Amino acid sequence: MEEKKSVLKAGASLLRDYLVLVMIAFLVLITAIIEPKFLSGSNLVNIMRQFGPLVMVSLGMTFVIIGGFIDLSVAGTINLVAVVTISLIQPMGQLPALLIGLALGIVCGALNSILILSSGALTQAEALFLTFGMSTVYSAIALLYSHGSTMHFWDISASKSIFESIGSGNIGFFSVSFVIFLVLLAILWVFQSKTAEGRAICLTGGNKTAARLSGIQVSRSIIEIYVIGGFMAAVGAIVLFSRITTAAPVIGAGYETSAILAVVVGGTTLKGGKGSVLRTVMGVLLVVLMSNCLDLLGVSSYMQYAVKGAILMFAIWLDNRKQA
Amino acid sequence: MSKSGILTSIYKALTKQKAFIALIIMMIGMLFSKTNFYSAYNLLDMLNSTSILLILAFGVTFTIISGGCDLSIGGNLVVAGILAIKLLDVMPIWLAILIAVLFGAVVGFINGFLVVQQKTEPFIITLGMGLLLTGVAQQLTDAHPLPAKNPNFMMISNGDFHGIPNLVIIMLVCFGISYWIMRYTQFGRNLYAIGGDYEVARYSGINVIRTKWIGFVLSGVAAALAGVLLSSKLNTGSPVYGETTALVVNCGVVVGGTSFAGGIGGIPQSGLGLLVFGMLDNVMNMLEITSYYQVLLKGAAIVAIIWMDCFANKRKREAV
Amino acid sequence: MDTVQSEYILSIKDVSKSFPGVKALDRVSLDVKRGIVHGIVGENGAGKSTLMKILSGVYQKDSGTIIFDGQIIEHTTPHESMKRGLAIIYQELNLVNTMSVGENIFLGRFREMKGMRGTHAKAKELLDNIGSKVSTTKLVSDLSVSEKQMVEIAKALSFKSKLIIMDEPSSSLTNEEMVELAKIIRQLKAQGISIIYISHKLDEIFEFCDIVSVMRDGHVIDTKPKPEFTRNELIMKMIGRTIEKEYPGRSRNVGDILLDVRSINTRKLHNVSFTLRKGEILGLVGLVGAGRTEIVRALFGADKVKSHQVFIDGNQVHIRNPKDAIDAGFGFIPEDRKIQGLVLPFSVESNISMASIPKFTKLGFIQKSLEKNIAAQQIKSLSIKTPSTRTAVNNLSGGNQQKCIVGRWLEISPKIFIMDEPTRGIDVGAKYEIYTLMKEIAEKGGAIILISSELPEVLNMSNRVLTIFEGRITGEFNPETTPADRIMSAALGIVGRES
Repeated sequence: MEEKKSVLKAGASLLRDYLVLVMIAFLVLITAIIEPKFLSGSNLVNIMRQFGPLVMVSLGMTFVIIGGFIDLSVAGTINLVAVVTISLIQPMGQLPALLIGLALGIVCGALNSILILSSGALTQAEALFLTFGMSTVYSAIALLYSHGSTMHFWDISASKSIFESIGSGNIGFFSVSFVIFLVLLAILWVFQSKTAEGRAICLTGGNKTAARLSGIQVSRSIIEIYVIGGFMAAVGAIVLFSRITTAAPVIGAGYETSAILAVVVGGTTLKGGKGSVLRTVMGVLLVVLMSNCLDLLGVSSYMQYAVKGAILMFAIWLDNRKQA
Repeated sequence: MSKSGILTSIYKALTKQKAFIALIIMMIGMLFSKTNFYSAYNLLDMLNSTSILLILAFGVTFTIISGGCDLSIGGNLVVAGILAIKLLDVMPIWLAILIAVLFGAVVGFINGFLVVQQKTEPFIITLGMGLLLTGVAQQLTDAHPLPAKNPNFMMISNGDFHGIPNLVIIMLVCFGISYWIMRYTQFGRNLYAIGGDYEVARYSGINVIRTKWIGFVLSGVAAALAGVLLSSKLNTGSPVYGETTALVVNCGVVVGGTSFAGGIGGIPQSGLGLLVFGMLDNVMNMLEITSYYQVLLKGAAIVAIIWMDCFANKRKREAV
Repeated sequence: MDTVQSEYILSIKDVSKSFPGVKALDRVSLDVKRGIVHGIVGENGAGKSTLMKILSGVYQKDSGTIIFDGQIIEHTTPHESMKRGLAIIYQELNLVNTMSVGENIFLGRFREMKGMRGTHAKAKELLDNIGSKVSTTKLVSDLSVSEKQMVEIAKALSFKSKLIIMDEPSSSLTNEEMVELAKIIRQLKAQGISIIYISHKLDEIFEFCDIVSVMRDGHVIDTKPKPEFTRNELIMKMIGRTIEKEYPGRSRNVGDILLDVRSINTRKLHNVSFTLRKGEILGLVGLVGAGRTEIVRALFGADKVKSHQVFIDGNQVHIRNPKDAIDAGFGFIPEDRKIQGLVLPFSVESNISMASIPKFTKLGFIQKSLEKNIAAQQIKSLSIKTPSTRTAVNNLSGGNQQKCIVGRWLEISPKIFIMDEPTRGIDVGAKYEIYTLMKEIAEKGGAIILISSELPEVLNMSNRVLTIFEGRITGEFNPETTPADRIMSAALGIVGRES
């Protein structure tokens, strides 16, 4: 009887760990049955399309969350990087534009971390508000910079081949953006799990006080996580507008929620310290699959927004119970 | 007192009254502007537009005083407003409003459950709730503003009673009720105790879970009421106004002196803080600052305020 | 059940309480007569506060019986306890800092008091009764410690308490305030209220108490009417076990001056200066809040300081953060291992290797095998009991958790090892192991600054002892030759220096 109980208990906890995975697998199954279009080549390409920008942002977000914080400014960063980069292709050339765009992402991230450090903010909640506010600022700057207008590739006569290849080019079997993703994933994974700095970030997220009292430079870790977050948001922005060949100053809307959702669903705890970029990749896949299925099943994009919010709440609640 | 002693006390007094000072600065600044800021019409209009934000602030205060926060108010208010408008087609106004407000209570109840009973972080989970509700709002309206079909509905927020706008009256009533609850009832005082020190409150026999939970319900009710009033004012239900509202209101409350730390501040302080934002909006409009700059300034103001609140806490922690 | 009122207000019989790894109370029996002041003396770790917390309902006892005012008490909460008439005034006061005095006294009873006006009126009455002039509308955060105590006493009185327990009430009071407290105690006694008075200060015990109980190691050693005790007997019973078997003896390898600290000044500390020699164990003795932890945190760069100068081996070092301190040769076992020392969800391996990351990093990359070796070695040499190196440190016992932290620092061989309450919450066996370790470190030339609230521990392990009172060093003693109560007096700010 005791054995039966403990098996049930183990099963229940396993189910809890992978509950969201199971739910979405279920959804995929149902969709594949109802809508055979799901398995078509063009749909799979579609899935890959959505995967690109989101995974970049989410990988960056993973670091911030492992470090014990959160970054709600990615939407604003994406907006800003997108409009600035695309606008500079013509006057400056595509390579400088690209580099400036990436640098801008780093600057935004660094700015976030400076605000957090200088104010002495220690908690995730304080970081939430500060970065939320910064998102508004970055978005506003994007609006001002672009005068609220959207820029298209076809407005640009200069060469934009780099961006075009990011958007739709291929290297052999894989798309260029997928290769970029793999390279960045590898770098980030190695950084997170195999370097001293990565370890420092985990320890900072695990227990800031203990980390500091063991000689770890917590401030440096905080700057690192936000810079990575900003940089990856910039990469995401570039992949995004290269894909859709336009950059509107509101292009980043909703990415912060999707990214956080992907990280949490992937299994990285919001409490910080533990997690993995690999898990986040899984989380992004799940989120994208979910959107795709809901699309095919005819659920409106508004309802999907609501579902995202609901799943976020559910995932956070689950995460909380797990850590208790 | 030594020179540094005097300076420190001045600094302390100033930081406590940041809202007041911000108001004074703006009011003095506007004296020099060539605008109609000081016209009766404008002042009343300012109060009128801020009324809805004020009602939201009163509700949110119940959660912040007890140590939590409620970021779902934006989503809550838009859904409630849309709900009211949709229900107007099939039932009398008062019933539609009642149901909308009840909806807010249910949202607050769920928030309370998750935060207090399940002990999740209030910031992020109410954020999620806000998103959920915003999505629902968009779904209900298909992202188009939904016009009200009952002309009387519009009069609620747009009418006046012997020259005083209805909104202002409603806001004052809400102020009175909230103030009374916070200051003169056991429930309100318990909220302060919980925010001040959860364990001490618990040891003193206060039902901390139930009290904090009810705080969330009140916040939901206030948000729903604000939503109904907003719909009435614009005579449409629109999902747009939810977005930065939560942020603005929570920040405004902090500006006025109700701290996220809990146990500090109150209804009048929160109101004062929101007046700062209300006046800021009005001032920016008067000065014809383009809307993009307005967003920028507001965002920067919000960051500055939170930054200062964090910094004040840091100084308290590290007092050498 | 007896209808005749028993002569005892409180009867405790065979009460035991254990925490993971530690038996805090071992069949404690105690009877408190009505209308008297019953003193309880004992060192930290003797079990006094655990017993009090069980009485007041914060903890639940594992076994035994408690009868209060004729009623058997089983599961209770702090609030119920208060209502029943048992009030306790803790050392760490139980007040809400952000609220006023009046509201604190009647916390949760706003309606009963008919609102704010009634609250403040009745609060003023209570405070007047005990001779306190504190304004009821003042915020608790603006009060001094003695004023806060008065508020707590008023709170206890507001419940018509029959028994008031005072836990180290005079630890932060001035002489005048003590006189006031003495008056109040006499007043309470005259009203028929029984008092349990817990204190280190033997003078007060002898002044106020009618009956005294001595606690040690979770037992009540003896209970006698005060006149039947002598001072020495009390001290002996408090600390005097067969000391030799518990401690491995002192290291005798004291060398040259290694650390020279001059004038640490912070909000709490005033001109703290001292030296530390190689191979020496320096004990810091003082009451809770006296400033011992503040001193070592200032040294370690964990807190900001107004000013100080630190010299190691004659060279001045500037320490602004823990990393600087570590580079200068410090190691630091913090007071609260769970909150400040360990990353609980992480593995034993990670927790041990935390401070020595550069040691197993090549070109920025972590060498897992080296890390594993470091951890394995420390586990072995410290006999850390853990199922594996990957086990979450949260699952280890207190003693083993502490050993992980010790191992963390041993790995980088600090010159100066700061240990703040290194044996708190650890069973006797593990304690001895840590003492042995400390002796070894000292014998090899390392220096240790030891903070412990267990006086016997400090006195038996240290080569030299500094007493700290209200942020100042009040004495420097040789624990081998100075009687314990002399040292204690200095720690209580009473007597002057002696070497």
